[in-house]
Amino acid sequence: MAEHVGIDLGTTLSGLAYLKPDGNPEIVPNADGERLTPSVVFFDSHEDVKLVGSAARDGGEPDRTIFQIKRHMDDPEHLVEIDGKKWTPAEISALILSKLKRECSKICGDITEVVITVPANFNELARKSTIAAAEMAGMKVRRLVNEPTAAAVYYAHSQGVKGRVLVYDLGGGTLDTTILEVDGEHIKILTSEGARHLGGSNFDDLLLEAYADQYKKQTGATLYSDERHRRRVLHATEDAKKMLSKLQRVNDTVANDQNSGIARIDLTRDHFEKMIRHMLTRTVFLVEQALDSAKLKPSDIDHVVLVGGSTRIPKVKTMLEKMFGKTPKSCGNVDECVALGAALFAKKSARIQEVCNASYGTLAMVYNAKTKEEKLMNSIVIPKNSIIPCSRTQVYQTSEDNERVIEVDITQGEDEDAKFVDVIGRITLDVPPNRAKGCEVAVTFSYDENQRVRALVVDKQSGRSKEVAVTYKGAGVLSDEELKRRSQHLRAMRIE
Amino acid sequence: MFKIFKNISKSLGGGKATESKPAAKAGSLLDKVNKGAPATAKAEPPRTPEELCGITPKMPKDEIRAQLKLLFRRYNRSASSLDAKLRGEADKMLDAIVQVREKHFGEI
Repeated sequence: MAEHVGIDLGTTLSGLAYLKPDGNPEIVPNADGERLTPSVVFFDSHEDVKLVGSAARDGGEPDRTIFQIKRHMDDPEHLVEIDGKKWTPAEISALILSKLKRECSKICGDITEVVITVPANFNELARKSTIAAAEMAGMKVRRLVNEPTAAAVYYAHSQGVKGRVLVYDLGGGTLDTTILEVDGEHIKILTSEGARHLGGSNFDDLLLEAYADQYKKQTGATLYSDERHRRRVLHATEDAKKMLSKLQRVNDTVANDQNSGIARIDLTRDHFEKMIRHMLTRTVFLVEQALDSAKLKPSDIDHVVLVGGSTRIPKVKTMLEKMFGKTPKSCGNVDECVALGAALFAKKSARIQEVCNASYGTLAMVYNAKTKEEKLMNSIVIPKNSIIPCSRTQVYQTSEDNERVIEVDITQGEDEDAKFVDVIGRITLDVPPNRAKGCEVAVTFSYDENQRVRALVVDKQSGRSKEVAVTYKGAGVLSDEELKRRSQHLRAMRIE
Repeated sequence: MFKIFKNISKSLGGGKATESKPAAKAGSLLDKVNKGAPATAKAEPPRTPEELCGITPKMPKDEIRAQLKLLFRRYNRSASSLDAKLRGEADKMLDAIVQVREKHFGEI
């Protein structure tokens, strides 16, 4: 049995690694001989089989092919409908995880418990969906770990560094940045920040627009008219992007599917870098935000570490070099280090101190003694970057006589303005009648190692209390019963 | 600052509800808050990136920088909000924030 297994369930690629007896992690290839499996699922119409990986990606029936499902893991209403059956994002992810489990276990031994990586800014729902996906695939999640944390663990293990490290992880779909302190085997995470929908696939989309523009100019026709052909051209743009990391100029020839002629596409690195400049500026904002959160300056960082395929873009390196005054280091193979780090994390988690990725609180009327104003605000109980696991209590007072019901909203987000936080749950507590205002109510939030939150509300006078774990509702969220039922169904499926 | 816990349904509705109400589904309160917030959805003429970011012509550089940081933190988080409307707004705001930065502090 493989004891320490890590899985990088990526937006575009997924990988599984295990810890060898010598203490070093190793990537386990799938049955197609690939070290990384494209996170793509194809639902065949002729046979009752789900294809996962390269075969699915290159198949060619776009309305039966699911790409980048990870981007929807935090959407409670997202569903994919194939042949009248509705699939949740967790189920699609479970198909990818099932392939990895079934095929890799033939090489490294039975896989029952895993560490799975998630983006640092994955919210509560997305984390819960990831755990559900693993359960459906027949694996227990020992821990979820943030992707940049996993990469940093691998970097520290393989390079033997000491000091403050900033990990810049620009993958296929998300950007994560984490600052941590490394001292031998001990790792202390200081902060993690993430940006959604910011990664290599966004760059591919921009290149696709450039291809379409050049095609239109040369032939007067549109480059693609259906999803199948758009996918083919997108594949070509991805190759062109990779080439532009090595060459200053790349030429390609493309045709549409209407016999409108062939166009010669001419791209330069300079032009490509201009195209993605706005997105890279967003990444600079995020790095600055991480530094601010950790109360550090760029000069306080000893090592800048690059993770994720998009960090091969030369502009990324020069931009960070300019910002930090030192050359960023690559984390070995930038595509594999997250999975490798996850396998290491499975063994070393006790020596790694993590922090809460978001603030949790409740909505309360807050009275400002100076201005004498009362305003509905997000009152934070657990601040972001608290060391986890943790538990914090905040005491509030009822503000009206004869309140019969106390309603406590559980918020996620650090903004004081209630508009900019998510209400992810609510506790309703019945309290005795005929009480004057000013009764104390203690609200305790607990945060576990998997970044899951629980809330406890205690009415101090009556002693009545209620505790809940956050649960989500929506078409794309499975109930516990449904999860069990679909798990059994999924385990009997043919997945290749 | 003194924090007062208050029954939210009363505080927003203004009435003296004494009966217990069924718990609203998560997110409904946020909708109410959105409705109570200054209207941004009204048909208005297109606003410049500076206007969207609350940057005035004579604002000092360090204030602009601080404002952009605050807005980026707010809207980057909103980009993964459970509220689809807020997610859409966040994308537009993030574009505006980047444009203002490039205009006032140069390209990366």
